[in-house]
Amino acid sequence: MATVNEHTPNSNAPEEVIKINDLHKAFGDNKVINGFNFNLKRGENAVVLGKSGSGKSVLIKLIIGLMKPDQGSIEVLGDKVETLSTSELDKMRVKVGFLFQSNALYDSMTIRENLEFPLRRHWIKKSTNKNEVDNLVMEALTNVGLPHTVDMMPSELSGGMRKRIALARTLILKPEIILYDEPTTGLDPITGKEISHLMLDLQKKYNTSSIIISHDINCVKIVANRIVMLIDGKCYATGTYDELEHSTDLRVKQFFE
Amino acid sequence: MIKNIFIEIGLIARFTGRFFIEVFKPRFEFNEFLRQCFYIGNKSFPLVAITAFIMGLVITMQSRPTLVEFGAQAWLPKMISVSLVREIAPVITALICAGKIGSGIGAELGSMKVTEQIDAMDVSGTNPYKFLVVTRVMATTLMIPILAILADTISLYGGYLGCNIHGVVSWDLFWNQVFDTLVYADVLPSILKTFFFGFIIGIIGCYQGFNSSKGTEGVGQSANSAVVISSLLVFIIDLLAVQITDALNLN
Repeated sequence: MATVNEHTPNSNAPEEVIKINDLHKAFGDNKVINGFNFNLKRGENAVVLGKSGSGKSVLIKLIIGLMKPDQGSIEVLGDKVETLSTSELDKMRVKVGFLFQSNALYDSMTIRENLEFPLRRHWIKKSTNKNEVDNLVMEALTNVGLPHTVDMMPSELSGGMRKRIALARTLILKPEIILYDEPTTGLDPITGKEISHLMLDLQKKYNTSSIIISHDINCVKIVANRIVMLIDGKCYATGTYDELEHSTDLRVKQFFE
Repeated sequence: MIKNIFIEIGLIARFTGRFFIEVFKPRFEFNEFLRQCFYIGNKSFPLVAITAFIMGLVITMQSRPTLVEFGAQAWLPKMISVSLVREIAPVITALICAGKIGSGIGAELGSMKVTEQIDAMDVSGTNPYKFLVVTRVMATTLMIPILAILADTISLYGGYLGCNIHGVVSWDLFWNQVFDTLVYADVLPSILKTFFFGFIIGIIGCYQGFNSSKGTEGVGQSANSAVVISSLLVFIIDLLAVQITDALNLN
């Protein structure tokens, strides 16, 4: 029995799942996001590419409501994030998964407890019984190929395995949108490639839309339907991998050299 | 420098104020509170017990020669019971807990902050302040008085053994003298101040951890600051407590 927000493409659903309009965010005098505009379509994988410190992580933290914008609006699945109350934000976050750069697995909990945490905390369905929770945990772990790690601690796993577990935890609520913060950083090229393919497979399986923050050109090449260049806090250029790879603009070109 | 101190005091006051807002709002993290009580109470007990026993024994042995000089060694149980129950056991318990629990909370929350676990909690439908801070502060506020009461008893037992190293005091005589000496005015203020010790150890540990930055270096700093600031505040609360009891003629 399905207990989480299983979703199917809905003909009435908005075509654009995320709409960002004239977004600004500054830390003191440092304007990291400075008039950023962007729309994410349903089923699309958009990669946000930019230099370190260019505000990519800030952008997705603004989208999920971990930070408040100074100006501008962010609409996620029809909800204006900056106007949502705490409980409304929680409801919105059930539909939006977030994969943290550092994985953010709870060190003091087993893998099972880590995966159960968002399920239990979001109170998806109060009548969800232990068997259903177990099934969802095992399904999520099987999706990432690590069902045998269920009773292990995060410290017993390798970097790549932890990334997979973090991905499983993100997917356990079956979100409609997933925000990936540098999903392949710190991984060797082979593991990075495996994670990129896994992201793509899961996106197809659950029909999710994604924003992926990445510097890793190999990952970008595998997962991106569209690339957005975040330069000077603005959407400097946008296009497919091939289009941007052959761009004559020097600031764009340097990312693909 | 002075400006920074005032800014820090303001931030701690705001962090503390949030505790009183969040503590009364549902949802109540009862399981996490019990887990923290177990961790703080049970795991700190052996260290508190050993320290209290040693302090009771040492204070008794060191006080005895002076009393013998005045021919007042019979007063030994009376004297040590007042000093142990009113001051030494509660303060030693608070300092041990500031070192063990305060640094543990500072390091744990600091580590969670720098590895984005606190943000992950936030996106998982959990108010991290309620889940991490309120539960830990309530647990320290409740468990440190209990540990202090146990420390009182154990240090008195240490005192009983201390009395019997160079002299003979029967079990009954010792405890009769202790209970004849101690009055509510000795015991209640002493227990009451340990609630404040517990609260301050919890809130400072959580504040330092929650505001940790600069990676692993920041985690170390958080743990260190948690111990230093909470130990200092324990003494300041102790000083205020003695002024209050003095003003109320309870000393």
